[in-house]
Amino acid sequence: MHTEATPAQADVSELDLVKQCQAGDTEAFDQLVSRYRTRVFGMIYNMVHNEQDAWDLAQDSFLKAWKSIGRFRGQSSFYTWIYRIVTNVTIDWLRKKHVKGSGTEFDDAVQLKEIDPASRTVPKADALPHQRMERQEIRARIDAAIEQLSPEHRAVILMKETEDMQYHEIAEALGCSIGTVMSRLFYARKKLQNLLRDLYENV
Amino acid sequence: MKTFEEKWTAWIDGELTGAELAEFEASLPDRAAAEAEKRGALKLQSFLKEYLPCPAMGNEEFFHHQLRERIAAETHVDDPAESDAGSPVWWPLGRLIWVGATALAIFAVCTIFVMREAPTADQSQYLSQILNARVDPVVNPNATITKFESKEDKVTILWVEGLQSLPSEFAAK
Repeated sequence: MHTEATPAQADVSELDLVKQCQAGDTEAFDQLVSRYRTRVFGMIYNMVHNEQDAWDLAQDSFLKAWKSIGRFRGQSSFYTWIYRIVTNVTIDWLRKKHVKGSGTEFDDAVQLKEIDPASRTVPKADALPHQRMERQEIRARIDAAIEQLSPEHRAVILMKETEDMQYHEIAEALGCSIGTVMSRLFYARKKLQNLLRDLYENV
Repeated sequence: MKTFEEKWTAWIDGELTGAELAEFEASLPDRAAAEAEKRGALKLQSFLKEYLPCPAMGNEEFFHHQLRERIAAETHVDDPAESDAGSPVWWPLGRLIWVGATALAIFAVCTIFVMREAPTADQSQYLSQILNARVDPVVNPNATITKFESKEDKVTILWVEGLQSLPSEFAAK
């Protein structure tokens, strides 16, 4: 898993930064935030599909991390620890919004999320207009399919498929067993395969 | 003991090896269909990787600024004694003794002052009774009451003149 650390920042180990944070050093915490903000934001965005909500939830997650960093004992990596906070915050938020994975198959009537063409989430490659539009449509289909999953299944599939996290890392982040992670992956993949087969087989 | 779902997931991710892999593949009722499913799952993986890129956050500086503000606010709320930082939580014993002695002295002075000002309990009841009695100026136009008091001897003399009569209840008992 890569981080966003610059060479200068990388000189300071993560554990040292955590220790400085535990002593109340907000500058050290700033460095940790710099390292993980984009990945945290991306993970949340892929779960909630809204930039403003993702921004707010990333803020809440880091604030919660700051408040509880005194309890971090270094038994797992800081990355896994912060992901646990992120997933808890995001899953709680999704539950409050009554987001539940339905058992229904994908339906074209599901409202596809419109993505602002000026959005920073749009890939910055110099694609032709029709290619950009095609990507946006595909992205919207994927978002709609992910919205069919329960918050827990969303977290598992995104950590595995987009973050390349290992089973044990996902289990630590979600506070569940490796078996539960594998089982959730099984059902999440099956559902996405059913919902997106026509896309990934033809693109 | 792994469930079928766990073994399937491990198989898709290439985590099954050796005897476990052989045993699982042998247990599949339709190997060809399972292989097709596996290919589909792997296509889905690469498809998601390609089309779910990590979005750029934008306004990173503002994100940090906002977070710092919130942390500062939380820290202030969580630590109300922050403004008293540096002052000892407990007073030293010497200071406690001095404060205690001073408080005791102030209490004693106040008590003595109040006791001296308080009216004596054995003051004659007739004084207040007669002074409160209505003296009708028509009936007793020349009535005068004079009080003589000696606190040392605890004696009070009321000299009443000009009264036609003294009410019976004021008679010396």
